[in-house]
Amino acid sequence: MKFLDCVSHIAERRSNQLVVTSAGNSAQAWWAATRDSSGTFYLEASMSLSTMFASGLALAQPQADVWAFMGDGAFCMNPGMLMVERDMNLPNLTHFLLSNRHYGATSNADLPNMAKNDYAAIARGMGLERVYSFDNLAALKAGFDEAVLRNKPGHSFVVLEVEPFDDAEQRLPQPPLDGPELKYRFGRHVEAAFHADIFGYQL
Amino acid sequence: MQSRSHDVALRITDELTTAGIKLVASLPDNWISDLIRCVDADPRLHHVPVNREESAIGLCSGAYMGGMGSVALMGASGFMTVIYALTKINYTYEIPIFLMITLRGAWGDHHKHHVSNGLYLKPILDTLNLPTTIIENPDQIGMISKAYHHGKNYARPVVVALTRDLLK
Repeated sequence: MKFLDCVSHIAERRSNQLVVTSAGNSAQAWWAATRDSSGTFYLEASMSLSTMFASGLALAQPQADVWAFMGDGAFCMNPGMLMVERDMNLPNLTHFLLSNRHYGATSNADLPNMAKNDYAAIARGMGLERVYSFDNLAALKAGFDEAVLRNKPGHSFVVLEVEPFDDAEQRLPQPPLDGPELKYRFGRHVEAAFHADIFGYQL
Repeated sequence: MQSRSHDVALRITDELTTAGIKLVASLPDNWISDLIRCVDADPRLHHVPVNREESAIGLCSGAYMGGMGSVALMGASGFMTVIYALTKINYTYEIPIFLMITLRGAWGDHHKHHVSNGLYLKPILDTLNLPTTIIENPDQIGMISKAYHHGKNYARPVVVALTRDLLK
């Protein structure tokens, strides 16, 4: 499945979800598909922490639906995150693992054991129950509602087998937002959407 | 009759709730084992044991962006592993995070495997310009709230370092 087609389809299915992206290609693809600069937190280069960040957000705002993207490069740095996600089992969190079998943000360098890693099996081995895997767009479209539906009984882990970015895709722009600007844009969005108090004062 | 360390742990737990903290993400250190048990047993707090210290940085940073107060509780060795995450998330985005760590390697720590923390922990805190308060007796536990609220105002990480004399 083409990386951009996959992410574009997920963007089309979005209603009011808060989104957290990981470094590199997922941020590029989500920015290309949405140009969202308020309801998405582009967590650049966190080296595996996008879904932990999203878990904190989902815990703090249980009425929000939170989608978190992560590449398999980041996943391989910290697969134990799934133990924490399983323990928390937040029904308002969906973890999308974009598996391109490469470190996409660093010129598609090879992942260790790239051909054999079975991310769905790893997740099941940690006790996750709502584990889904899609390797083509038709299957993703057909299975999306079941995997990602709102008010599901627990956290979902969705493996998306995608092709690495080609050279032209690698040149897609990154979201052009400085850190503090993104913090305030996203935080003000959460405050307005969910009547939250994040910064301790209103403008 | 409760032990002194358990009493201190209860007082720290109370202080966390007084500060407005709801989430505690922890990894163990023998010095804070009583504290972690007290946090886990307190219904006012949501305790999340995490798989590694960096996960606590991600979790607490995300909780902040949802409006939930939190603390990342860990040993000094764990803290030494989170420098990149702090610089990348909490300094880049200016997201406050409150850390409570053990002051390993300081006077009173008889473990040779914490010599590295004795040598490098404080210099690293200084290098990162990380505001740090050392709490070494129970009368100073009220500093936890002050440090937490300072961090929210400062919009960057702040650290409370707990000594062996306080905890054991």
